[in-house]
Formats: sequence, C-alpha cells, structure tokens
Amino acid sequence: MIKLKNFSHNILNNISFELQHNQNLIILGSNGAGKSTLAKVLCGIIPSPILIEGEPLKYHTNRKKLINYIPPKMEIFDEYLTLEEYLELSKINTLLEIKNSLKLLEIEHLKSKPCKQLSSGEQQLTMLATALLHNAKVTIFDEPTANLDPQKSKNIFSILKSKLFHQKIIITHDLNLAYRLGYNILYMKEGKIDFYDCSKSFFEEYNLHKYFGNSVKKVDNFIMVNL
Amino acid sequence: MKIVIYLLTITLLTLAPFLGQLPIELTNITDSTTIDYKLFWSIRLPRVLVAFFAGAILSLGGLLFQSIFKNPMSTPYTLGVATGSTLGVAIAIVFGFASYLSIFGFLGALITVIVLFGVTLRLNGYQTNALLLVGIALAFFYNASLMILFYLSNESQSFEIIRFTMGSVEVVGLNTIVPIIIASIALLAVTIRFKKELKLLLTSNNYAYLKGLNIKKINTLFLVSVSIAVGICVSLTGPIGFVGLIVPHIVKNIYKKSAEKLIFPIFFYGGFFLVISDLISRNLGTSSSIPIGVVTALLGGPFFIYLILKNKN
Repeated sequence: MIKLKNFSHNILNNISFELQHNQNLIILGSNGAGKSTLAKVLCGIIPSPILIEGEPLKYHTNRKKLINYIPPKMEIFDEYLTLEEYLELSKINTLLEIKNSLKLLEIEHLKSKPCKQLSSGEQQLTMLATALLHNAKVTIFDEPTANLDPQKSKNIFSILKSKLFHQKIIITHDLNLAYRLGYNILYMKEGKIDFYDCSKSFFEEYNLHKYFGNSVKKVDNFIMVNL
Repeated sequence: MKIVIYLLTITLLTLAPFLGQLPIELTNITDSTTIDYKLFWSIRLPRVLVAFFAGAILSLGGLLFQSIFKNPMSTPYTLGVATGSTLGVAIAIVFGFASYLSIFGFLGALITVIVLFGVTLRLNGYQTNALLLVGIALAFFYNASLMILFYLSNESQSFEIIRFTMGSVEVVGLNTIVPIIIASIALLAVTIRFKKELKLLLTSNNYAYLKGLNIKKINTLFLVSVSIAVGICVSLTGPIGFVGLIVPHIVKNIYKKSAEKLIFPIFFYGGFFLVISDLISRNLGTSSSIPIGVVTALLGGPFFIYLILKNKN
C-alpha cells in the first residue's frame, strides 16, 4: 500500500493519496497538471514522507525492489553503452532472461547498438524492457506509448494488460488505452487530485464532458478525439 | 590490433628514459660509478615515472568527473580543482610550509570539490553547463588569490610559484615519486572496485537511483578519491591541464565502448600521453625544456573548443 498525506512540492498542492495493495491505477490530466511530478514523488526521486507498506520509502532497505519509474524519455550520458548493457543494469527482481525481454518487445536486432543512437520509439521500448526485468512491486509508467507506432502501441497494451507486472501506475494521454485497461482513474488538475474513482464512472458522458469538453466523444465503446 | 598498440606503447615507454639531450648507454645503468647511472636513476627514470602516473591520475580523474557531473567537458582542471590545489601549494610556499606541499595541495583540491558539490546540489541535477561556468568563476577567484600571494611574496618565492604554475615533471630522486605512484594505483583500484556503480552513473542519476544506487555516497567516494590523487599529483608537478579532457575522449573514440570498460586503457594511455608530451617538451632542441603544462595546454586549448563545437551537434 502506498500512502501520501498533505504533500506540497512545486506544482503539487496539498496532495493526499492512497493506493491499495495490488490495485492498478491510471493517472490522467492535462499538460503541466503535475502528473510526472507526482510520479517522481511516488518513486522517491523527489524526496517526500511517502509511506510504502506502512514505512517511509527511504528507510526500506530494499527500496529498488519496491518501486520503479519509467520516464517518458530515456536519459543517458555515455555515448557507447549498448542496449543490452543498459538492460543488464535492470536485472533486479526477475526470472525473465534478457533475451526474452528483447523478444517480447521485438528489439532483439538492436541489442548491440548504443542507446544514444536509438530512435525515441526504440528507446521507449528499451525502457519498457527494463521495467520487465526490474519487475518491482509497483511500476510507474510515464506515457509508455507516446512515441510508438500503432502496432507497437497495441503490443505494449497487451503487455500492460498481461500479468507480467505486479502492480502498475500508468500516466497517459491516450484515453483509449485508459479506457481499455479499465483500471481506477486519477485525474489531476493544476496540481490537485480532481477525480479518483473507478474507470466506469470516469468514462461516463457527464465526466468526459466535464474534463474534456467537446474535444472527446465516446463512439461505439471507443474514446475518440473530436478533431 | 589493440595488443599491438599496447606493445608499441610499452616499448616507447621503456625507451623514454634513454631519449634526451644526453644519450645514455644501456650497459652503464647498472654501473654506479658512471654519470649515466646517476642520470638514469635520479633524473630520467623518475621523470618518466612521474609523467606516467600524473597522466594516469589526471585522465582517470577526468573520466570520473565526467561520469559524476554528466558532462564531457568536466575534468579536475576545467572545474578549478587543479587551480585550487595550485593555490594551496602557493600558500604553503609563501607562508613557509614548504615541507607540507602535498597536504596543502590536497586541501586546495578538496575545498574546491566541496564547493562544486554544494553548487551541483543547488543546481537541481548535474546535467548542466552551469557547472563549467562555476569552474571558470572559481579559477578566476583562485588566480586573483594567487596574485595577492605574488604581491606578498619575495622574489625567489614568486619565481618558485611561477615555475610551479607552468607544470613540470622535473623531479630528482626515485623516493620523491613514491606518493604519486601509490595515489594513482589507489585511484585505479577504487575505480575498478566500484565499476558497477560507475556504470550506473553513466546512465542518468534517476536511473541509477531507481536501481538502488546511493548516489550521494558514491559521488562523495569518487570525488574525495580524485581530490586526494589530484592534490598529491599537483603538489608534485603543478597544474597540467587538458590531459583529463583529451585522453578519455580519444580512448572512447578508438574503443567505442562504454566508459566503465575503459578504466584501464584510460589510465594507461593517460600516462602514455604525458610521457610523450614530456618527450616532446624536452627534445625540442631548446637550451632548457619547455614546461610540460605549457605543451598540454597548447594542445588542449584548441581541443576544448573542438569538443564544445562537437557537443553542439
């Protein structure tokens, strides 16, 4: 269980938040609403008095096995560190072999390429492979499909939907992905939690209109952006 | 191919003490009655060894600084650590602590590292060129302090400081070089021991943190180790610039491997680079050899600009 009480930092304004054990979550919200900042607080990159399983995160001796965060963009300093070497660093809590994670994400052919030379989509797939290998109790994905083509997005959707991860928190702008996954929804607005309930109630006509106005429509069980 | 290059460089390193204005007969170096014996054991060999281990410390220090600050242009020299160390040594010269040069050199380096570290914590992350500007500001500050010391010092002290700031590997006697050899081997050992942590630092601080690394702890360990080694090195040789910039860059470009696999090559070729620079500086045919720091700075200045332009793309 993750618990955060009355926490403020930068944009985040007095956030209180609780997530039960084994419950998955989708975080939605407009740009600059504080989603990524919240994610960084949850995983400890931004220090906070967050409690995981009743104990402050920084006191856990096995912090790395508890929570992992997959950022929207890969950050890497070394010019020549290869994809495979990058993945080796993530082999923490898993029985999965590196080569199987490569297969699952269809990036086997890139394994000896330096991470710096990968395209943004390939980097995103690489980071998802690290999430599989790391296999923390809670994994936070920050826009996991942002740079992917539709086919790859579909593949990622099925991986996210599968039982490969223990507990997931997914930040996304892709309402269809959110809708299909069917997890609880947390909607952020200007640094505050504006909505936190089940998927069914969020995707009602009334709430869709409240949060997205005329720009989003539900058509035949698909969430469409009204261009 | 790489073994051939190693063999070639080792041959050159072995030949280095024999090359110079006065030739040395190989058979004489075991005969203690000859001048060649004295020249070889008290002057040439110590000089080559100092050049080698100083170069090794400076380039390995460069690699570590680049990994910690995530910036290919940060080295103990460009961030002002070597200048801080120089100032420490100058203080020791002017205020009569000449027998504690190493300690003052180390303190100068350490204080600079503490300042840099404090600044990076406030800069919110390390991936910034602001740090280089801080290094420049520190260098200005130290240079101004050096000027004050010049003003306070007498003629012979001034001359000593000036010669010192030019950087030189001229030493006499094998026992003076023991500290720098120990320092460089120790730095190499620490780096190899924490190779995996170094590899994590090569990705990004967030990634390393999420994989369980205690970043503050490892950065402190590396920074203190580098300051001790650089402090000892500078107190013996004076500031020798740009080795830490040039060597890691060239070695990475040749091997095309991640930096944590290049710890030994960077150490070794750093040493080699400085031995060659020294060979150039003392075989130019001038009546006295040009200080080695001047040679490396002449090479390094343009190279630094090249790196800035390359990083733009």
